[in-house]
Amino acid sequence: MSSSQATQLPEQSQLDAKALPPALRRRPSLLREMWKQRAAYLFLLPKLILFTAFVLIPVIWAFVLAFQEYGVFGSEWVGFKNFTSVADSEAFRTALWNTLKYTVVTVPLQVILALVLATLIHPLGRRAQSFFRGAFYLPTVTSMVIIAMVWRWVYNYRYGLFNYMLGFLGIPAQDWLNQSNTALWALIIMSVLIPPGVGIIMYLAAMDAIPDQLYEAAKIDGASGLQRWRKITVPLLKPTTLYLTMLSLIGSFQVFTQILLMTGGGPGHATETLVTLIYKTAFRDLEFGLASAQAIVLFVITLIFGIAQYWLMYRKAEE
Amino acid sequence: MQSKHSPTKWLTYFVLLVWAIISLLPLYWVFSTALQLPDYVESDPPKMIPMGIVEYFTHPENRSQIVHDTFSGFQQLFNSTNIWRWFFNSAYISIVVTAGILVLDTMAGYALAKKQFPGRKLFFWLIIATMMIPGQITLVPLFIMVQNLGLMNTHWALILPDLSMVFGVFLMRQYMLSLPNDLLESAKIDGASEWKTFWKIVVPLSKPALATLGIFTFMNVWNSFLWPIIVLNDADLYTLPVGLKTLQDQNLAIFKLLMSGAAVAAVPMIVVFMSFQRYFIKGLTLGGVKE
Amino acid sequence: MIYKKYTKVFAVLATAAMLSVTLAGCSKDSASSSKQETANWTGKITIWDGPRWEENGNKYAWIESQKKAFESSHPGVTVEIVQVPWADMNDKLGVSIAGKAWPDVAPVDISGNGVNAAFLKQKVLEPLDDYVTADDKKDFLPNALDAYSQDGKLYGLPGGMTVHGMLLNLDLFQERNVEPPKDGKWTWNEFVDDMKKLTYDKDGDGKIDVYGLSTYIKNGYYESWPFLYMDGGRPLSDDLTKFTFDSKEAEGAMKKLADLKNIPVAPKEMGSGDVGGTWKAFSAQKNVAVEPWATWAIQAAQKANMKNFMVAAYPSGSGKPVTIGGVGGWMMFHQDDAGKKKVVADLMKQLTSTEQQVVTAKNYSVFPSRKSAVDQNPFADNPQMQQAQKLTETAVMIPKQVNWKKIDEAIQSQLQLVLNGEKSPEDAMGEAKKTVDDLLTK
Repeated sequence: MSSSQATQLPEQSQLDAKALPPALRRRPSLLREMWKQRAAYLFLLPKLILFTAFVLIPVIWAFVLAFQEYGVFGSEWVGFKNFTSVADSEAFRTALWNTLKYTVVTVPLQVILALVLATLIHPLGRRAQSFFRGAFYLPTVTSMVIIAMVWRWVYNYRYGLFNYMLGFLGIPAQDWLNQSNTALWALIIMSVLIPPGVGIIMYLAAMDAIPDQLYEAAKIDGASGLQRWRKITVPLLKPTTLYLTMLSLIGSFQVFTQILLMTGGGPGHATETLVTLIYKTAFRDLEFGLASAQAIVLFVITLIFGIAQYWLMYRKAEE
Repeated sequence: MQSKHSPTKWLTYFVLLVWAIISLLPLYWVFSTALQLPDYVESDPPKMIPMGIVEYFTHPENRSQIVHDTFSGFQQLFNSTNIWRWFFNSAYISIVVTAGILVLDTMAGYALAKKQFPGRKLFFWLIIATMMIPGQITLVPLFIMVQNLGLMNTHWALILPDLSMVFGVFLMRQYMLSLPNDLLESAKIDGASEWKTFWKIVVPLSKPALATLGIFTFMNVWNSFLWPIIVLNDADLYTLPVGLKTLQDQNLAIFKLLMSGAAVAAVPMIVVFMSFQRYFIKGLTLGGVKE
Repeated sequence: MIYKKYTKVFAVLATAAMLSVTLAGCSKDSASSSKQETANWTGKITIWDGPRWEENGNKYAWIESQKKAFESSHPGVTVEIVQVPWADMNDKLGVSIAGKAWPDVAPVDISGNGVNAAFLKQKVLEPLDDYVTADDKKDFLPNALDAYSQDGKLYGLPGGMTVHGMLLNLDLFQERNVEPPKDGKWTWNEFVDDMKKLTYDKDGDGKIDVYGLSTYIKNGYYESWPFLYMDGGRPLSDDLTKFTFDSKEAEGAMKKLADLKNIPVAPKEMGSGDVGGTWKAFSAQKNVAVEPWATWAIQAAQKANMKNFMVAAYPSGSGKPVTIGGVGGWMMFHQDDAGKKKVVADLMKQLTSTEQQVVTAKNYSVFPSRKSAVDQNPFADNPQMQQAQKLTETAVMIPKQVNWKKIDEAIQSQLQLVLNGEKSPEDAMGEAKKTVDDLLTK
């Protein structure tokens, strides 16, 4: 056993520290401590280098870019100009409004749907449970590019499955993706009909963790099934609900792929969302500074929504 | 709680089945259209099954033609597009990134979970903080950086940023916190080197977390779209999702061909899902893996 | 035991990772360019191209043969081809320029995008005047050369010209006993009368299934625009300082076009459909009798075994007959090395030589931009291309405005709402004006 390895044992390093003069004993020098733990840094180093280069620096850079106007042969500082353009821009307001509409409808529906489906699946036998879990989760692992392509085909005005199905209900055919009053709704319907696989699985796991005694006790008190669900299941699932809502919120604020592939933000600007706008501003209009400012505003909005939602749910819980 | 054949139970099954059919219908439609006879692809009302199956029996004299027509979408796809190339690109990039992530994140997670070193807390919170920041923020700076490094239009532009994602570090750290310290210490007393301890004890014990991380990394890289469409120019370098987008953009409106392409891209993920289903499920409950 | 198996997998994966990393490292080229200014520059030239006509299943066969020819006539020079789908070409070029990673040469079509003006503003284009002799310049058609000129300098070499025209399915005309327009010319009223006759219920189920006209609206595509020009309306004033699509002439024409869906002589998808679907309706399903297309469609229709079709002009209104034309060609992007610049110019000259223009004309249905190529009469056995060639006399170009891409988007997104019947031309153009005025003053 080489001595350098031995010093890495916690006990050993404490012994070392005791051998030091009293002034250093309580706070061993930082460098020394770091040297002793050099193995830890070596384990961390490769990831740290990549992380610094491709995550940390870009994040800081984004905040710098937001105050610049980028040019091919040099950038210039423009102060808050990019942020004032964001505030003044009608395109941004439209995109924000569309994103909000999309979020406000899809997030609650996705979460509620997950809760309801999980509730229905939970009492079933093992085999049935795993079958439904798989059936609802499978579409979630499929690339959004594929889902968007097939839904574009499903929404086809003449030959699409959607109009055909609606035909049974007596609803006249619509050119769903190409009319400005239906296009966003078509995207919303699609995102609700993609099953909330993640949510179902997480709810099921959380339901497993609820002790049976709680239900037994409620049963003795004469509570009906629905009452037990409302008074026991739903409140105890609150952390899961919160987490899922957050996840869904972030996802719907960043909705992009299906829009780019299905409507491109049109017709007009009917389905332009924040991320499609950021993408276009950056990589079509090449206004990098403005795009960075838009992305930062998106971040702030997401943050505000997240905090508000957290606060709402927990304040309610305390009532 | 309820008797085995109570009406509520049947109703539950019914509702769940209907909803499961609705959920799986689009995916079914991909395969059904890909295998539909060309004459029926655009028919009003739509045909719910590939008509080749029916005609195979009603027109026994035309069987070879029917089989040929059923698969003509795939034939056209393989002959007139770069689909194999895209498939290969997607596969190798996903494997490289997954392997890299497993190595890097296990090492980093181990250090953060089991080593008491100065700066440990700082690193941990740095990771948590960046996990909260939406990817769109780094899109532009990362793009400028990739350009400056001369990585534009290379697969490095995909691999390096993907290898830098920190979620896996977080996941591995959380998992390894639960590993017993005694085992690691006794290994050291036995004279095992740091690397040996890590490789022979930590890695095998972390197998469930590794499986989860590997699967989710593979899935995310395989499906990734926004970044590849920005940094790849050359059609030979495209990954499957980017290639599919070009197929759609080429404005051919040949749905059989488009859906054949979608089917080729969907099958690997379906296979991965079927084979590793329990890790997917475990992964989600291990702390919400999916982004 | 399980652990052991696992570590094995781990090791294999790790090795795979390292291997591919090394492989990827090797394939990345080392773009070294000699700094000396010699006539015999050697090194690598990067050229972008999109898919052209198919030869043995390869849509890049032409550019690959050009690469071979050039490499053998210029020893030490290698040409790297980057295959970029046309739909992505403009955006990818813009992005590459923003990232200072432009190719040496790329095809830039003047009709559709106006990017050339934006590229000029960014000073990433190389003027080519030093490399093109006066005689050579005289051989190019003046309007083609003009499309690539700015402030007296030449920034590109035209390879071919295109024009928009109406494709008429004569089988349907005969079926409905409609006389096709004489010499391919018709007035708006004659056109609408013909469209009415061509719109009918083919299978007798009470629903119309063949329509007279269809087209689409899409950023960077101008098939529907000559309709809007017919009474004299234009998007911008000649000096490019004012938005003029809100004129009575333009808005009136928009209304006429949108009203075709109410008569109805156009399907519900007109305006909102995609390029492929619209083309398929004309060429494969044959349920639209007339569609306006750029010249590439002539070739495509001939290849799709549509024998019985003709090319006609857009219907004329109160303005003079007009259509929208385009010029395709090559541009050179910023070079540091004068020696390389000359070699790249050589390549561009090879791509736009008389010989190659005849080849592209025959295979890709574009008109040559060189007089010497026109003289070889590449369309001797192609009556439809001859008909289309007549239209070039009335062709006008899309305005060369720096911000055209955004102006185009502002206009097209509103036009789509007009054709959808969701907005009146006045409201739509009022909306577009707000954005466009802003862009014009920038």
